[in-house]
Amino acid sequence: MTDLSLDQLRSRTATRNLLVLFALMSLTVCAALWGLGVGAVAIPVDVIINTVFNLPGEQQTYIIMRSRLPRILMALLAGGALGLSGAIIQAVVRNPLASPNIIGINSGAALFALGLVLWLPSVPETFMPLAACIGGVTAAAFVIVVSHRRRLSAIHLALIGVAVGFVFEAGVDYLLVVTSDRETSAAMMWLTGSLVGRTWNHVTISWLPLVGLGSAALVLAYRLDLIALGEETATELGLNVPIQRILLLLVATFLASVAVAFVGVMGFIGLMAPHIARRLVGGSHRLLLPVSMLVGMLLVVLADGIGRAVAPPLEISAGIITALIGAPFFIYIMLTTASEQEP
Amino acid sequence: MPLLLRYGLMATAVLLAALLSLTIGQRSDVWLGNVLQLLFVDDGSLARSAVVDLRLPRMLVAGLVGTNLALAGLALQAITRNALASESVLGINQGAAFGVALAVVMPSLMIINLDVMAILGAIAAGLITFSIAGGLGGRLDSMRLILAGVTVGAFSFALVRFTFTLEDNLSRLILSWTSADISSARLDQAFPLALWATGGLGASLLLAHSYNILALGDGASQGLGIDPRRMRFLGALLAAILTGASVAAAGPVMFVGLVVPHLCRLWFGHNHRLLVPAVAMGGAGLVLCADVVSKLVRFPYETPLGVICALIGAPYFLFATMRARTMA
Repeated sequence: MTDLSLDQLRSRTATRNLLVLFALMSLTVCAALWGLGVGAVAIPVDVIINTVFNLPGEQQTYIIMRSRLPRILMALLAGGALGLSGAIIQAVVRNPLASPNIIGINSGAALFALGLVLWLPSVPETFMPLAACIGGVTAAAFVIVVSHRRRLSAIHLALIGVAVGFVFEAGVDYLLVVTSDRETSAAMMWLTGSLVGRTWNHVTISWLPLVGLGSAALVLAYRLDLIALGEETATELGLNVPIQRILLLLVATFLASVAVAFVGVMGFIGLMAPHIARRLVGGSHRLLLPVSMLVGMLLVVLADGIGRAVAPPLEISAGIITALIGAPFFIYIMLTTASEQEP
Repeated sequence: MPLLLRYGLMATAVLLAALLSLTIGQRSDVWLGNVLQLLFVDDGSLARSAVVDLRLPRMLVAGLVGTNLALAGLALQAITRNALASESVLGINQGAAFGVALAVVMPSLMIINLDVMAILGAIAAGLITFSIAGGLGGRLDSMRLILAGVTVGAFSFALVRFTFTLEDNLSRLILSWTSADISSARLDQAFPLALWATGGLGASLLLAHSYNILALGDGASQGLGIDPRRMRFLGALLAAILTGASVAAAGPVMFVGLVVPHLCRLWFGHNHRLLVPAVAMGGAGLVLCADVVSKLVRFPYETPLGVICALIGAPYFLFATMRARTMA
């Protein structure tokens, strides 16, 4: 290493990062293909490729094109959004333990979705994502406004997020208890984070906002690098840190809320993806954000696939799989980074 | 106000709340005028049965669960020197719930009985949270402590919710249990709870002096002959055991351990020797009142106790968070 000039070092890192990006993309595509194949009816890969590109009229076409492809696309969209959102929130709060549900998104979305099912039973279920999105944004907005009055110090943001989360969670418990089984079962399924029954409708509604917000996040990435230098330095460099924080948080909130609205509560993706990404490509947000997005996609597609592959024809919610993988991972990360990170 | 008077008022309030909890229920013919008579004189009537078999066990379970949880909360706040610490925030409550859910779903995994499962779950959750926050040995970091606790809690609850999806009959049972529905409490649940509460009160009184010294800081307590690591371990263990015992009996009741020590500190000051009895009574009083509210809020339907406590406690937690200045 000592023989390398700075330029050589730089180009080596760049090559490595490109390789990482490429490897992640191919992994994601492979995982998506595998996800198309597993489930109650197993379909071999050559048939899948044939189907997607040739479309012969068979049962397998029906399964792939109608049921699994939109589902995989939804998983990719949601996973990417959650990964991005998590990376932004961890950077803004400047704490590796932060994640979208820290600013209350999951609980807010859960409360509003349940409330819709309960109080307005005449409204079709397709509006549940909308209600969830409004709920997530409401909770996050409340957290942001309250913290802003305290000049948005990172620690207060996180703590108030936790507190607001608890308030909304209490409401969810209340709603779950006062409703009958049949009314809550759809909501319960959604609470565990599942991709069951996602159709082209969901994809067509959600891709535009998710892709748009995702691009906005990638464009804003360099500001995160400035914020990472520390509040004072960033201010000296001409950045209005509190305003930038709010802007970035808003983007992250919308990303996570839309994702949660369509696939339910998948808490650990936003926490895990940025960590894995940071280990792969380091802390520069220009690279960290796209890599977090890719890792999020990969994780959700894999979790969904595993949930269908474990015990067909039964399915285990992707949210449960991500929690099962995510929690030990989280503990490992926290124990290994214990001494380096400052709150 | 003299100290004895304050304790006296507190005790009176608890007794009144207990009496109210006995008095209120779905039968309107069992009321304040005859409830005491029914309690002590066995006339073989259905009204007597309503008091002794339904309301009395429920009243005892509510009061004892409150005592246990409040003492656990006091211990956690003392050892972490963090006013926001409590069983539900640190994930211990949810860990205990997971232990019980595991035993219900897979009976072959059950070790000895439900109490032990809940306590093991609580200890596991506490260990994980504390080790993430900087270890029982090293300096505890408040921010990590709370974020780790919330994550451990969320994970445990995700798994508890997962058990819902396994079997329909089970899901109803676990849902009513996770919302701490104590309307079917039995008298034989109250006895172990009473034992735990007595033991917990004794242990807290023994530890109270160390709590006081720990409040001075790690360095000072070492100088005064108290090993902070050992103290933290003992306090966390006490909290986990008390939480586990009450979760096994009544389900995860949230926020009692947060609210009661706060309110008692306002009235009794910061000396833990005075605080321990006050907190024990305060916990019982608060949960008894919550029990009364749970019977009244959607009369004649019941609203589970856990939901009432969460609906009171969560906004209080928000308020306490917003007011806390010296968190980091």
